[in-house]
Amino acid sequence: MSIEVKDLSFRYGKIVALDGVTVRLGEGAVGLLGPNGAGKSTLLRILLGFLVPERGEGKVLGYDIRREQAMIRRSVGYMPESDCFIAGMDAVTFTSYFGELSGMPRQEAMKRAHEVLFYVGLGESRYRLLDTYSAGMKQRLKLAQALVHDPNILFLDEPTSNLDPTGRMEILELIRDISANKSIQVLLSSHILDDIESLCETVVILNKGRLAAEGRMADLRAIQYSLYELRIKGDAGAFRKDLEGRGSRVDEMEDGLIKVYMPEAADRMDIFRAAARTGAQLRYFVKSRTSLEDLFAGVVGVD
Amino acid sequence: MATVREKGYSHWDGRLVERRLPWWPITRTGIQLSFRKKRFKVLFSGAFIPAFVFLVGLYISERLEDFKAFIQGSDRLLNIGPKYFSTYFTNDGLLFLIVLVLAYGAGGLIADDLKHNSLQLYFSRPLGKKDYLVGKMSVIAFFVLVFSAVPGLVLIVFKLVFAGSFKFFLQYPWLPLSVIGFSALLTVFLAFYVLLMSSLSKNSRYVFILIFGTYIFSNVLFGILQSIFKTPYMALFSVPANLQQAGAFVFGQKLPHAVPAVWSFAVLAAICGLSAVMLNRKIRSVEVIK
Repeated sequence: MSIEVKDLSFRYGKIVALDGVTVRLGEGAVGLLGPNGAGKSTLLRILLGFLVPERGEGKVLGYDIRREQAMIRRSVGYMPESDCFIAGMDAVTFTSYFGELSGMPRQEAMKRAHEVLFYVGLGESRYRLLDTYSAGMKQRLKLAQALVHDPNILFLDEPTSNLDPTGRMEILELIRDISANKSIQVLLSSHILDDIESLCETVVILNKGRLAAEGRMADLRAIQYSLYELRIKGDAGAFRKDLEGRGSRVDEMEDGLIKVYMPEAADRMDIFRAAARTGAQLRYFVKSRTSLEDLFAGVVGVD
Repeated sequence: MATVREKGYSHWDGRLVERRLPWWPITRTGIQLSFRKKRFKVLFSGAFIPAFVFLVGLYISERLEDFKAFIQGSDRLLNIGPKYFSTYFTNDGLLFLIVLVLAYGAGGLIADDLKHNSLQLYFSRPLGKKDYLVGKMSVIAFFVLVFSAVPGLVLIVFKLVFAGSFKFFLQYPWLPLSVIGFSALLTVFLAFYVLLMSSLSKNSRYVFILIFGTYIFSNVLFGILQSIFKTPYMALFSVPANLQQAGAFVFGQKLPHAVPAVWSFAVLAAICGLSAVMLNRKIRSVEVIK
């Protein structure tokens, strides 16, 4: 396992950011998913040693997150969520500077900076002042500085935020290439479901600081719950209440479509029974293939 | 902008090394970035004027006969000894210029990192808070030492060269130590002072005002309080007055204010201590918004 955390807890003052999170992550691209404030960034920061957990333990590539932070930081490339650069620098100087700070010899860092800047598509603009870079270019630059020392793992915190659709596709293509072909493990934190769905085989879903779900995407879709889409005529409120009383989650769409997330153990006939009990007529009923969005809604409880 | 992956990614076959001085790239880059400002270069050059004036004074002191008409009886000013060096180090002009150079060239050392969120990039590297601060302080140390220890030692060497003998050195063998000692004190104090101010705002222009304003205002406050309370102890409120007291003590000269030098050292140490506490609180890899 490359990342392993056990019973990890952290709070900002009185606000609980992580509460007893235990996960084990293997190779490949892993998605860290959750609504804003779920604890995704906090988890990344604890893994990097920025924050000291209140309780629990963890290892990244076998290095202890409390004691061996320097070793972890040598092996990890971090792309933060917010814009960050150094005013007055050009991209080559910036990238090689952080390579050097990672422990690369100066000349090697400079050579490597040119290579990674070409890789992320900033080759032509590498001598331009960073102050003049667009949002998309700054995003690529952050990826370049995370890659410069050739890390074993990349921590990417909302890598596609503030990007236009083209920029987003290009960044996703880069990340896909890195994780699929370059033997660099990627831990991608995002609240954009499509990004995770298109890149990651494994997902960890956090909600309110707790682990809501974890596993291979395909397995999670199958085992967490069953999704049914239906339309009814009659008292939708009573029908909904009846199903919710039996442990299902019911979402009503604007067009009248009702999505029922049933626990794995439940019987789909319960839907028909509920309709009979509440006097509702079932006009449409189909078992739906679950998307990550549905999975997310099912375990996190938000649309 | 070029297309994505115009060149493929290749792994680096080198080995990361553990540096003896992990903060050195921060220092080197900090100095280089300061010199990228055109006005700073002018200011930096201008701050050598006091050293040049004192060097000319040294030369004239050895050729008093040649410059008799020019000096017109003010040759007592050119009596070269510890007082001459004390005057160089503690004159208002030099201290003013050093503070000006630091305010302009080093004011953004932390402020710019706070403004552009780059602290998290530093701390995602194998760097500690101590390495970061030492790296930034060394930038300030470079500028302070360039205008204090370096000219001070050069002046001593030139005195020996102009005199053509080691008599001056044998007379005051402790003078180089005083030069180094006061330069070190000035460096440590200004490093803490400038970094503290730099950490108080994300805007380097405000930091410039803070560094320069606090320095000037403390002296104005001293003047006002002294005229009200008529006691020399009010000098303790002034940053330049405390530095001058400390300088006079280190060079073994009469103190400019009738206050024990230990009080001035205590004030300077207290400012350094306060700065250290504040910097420890302000420099974080994660900004926590409560």
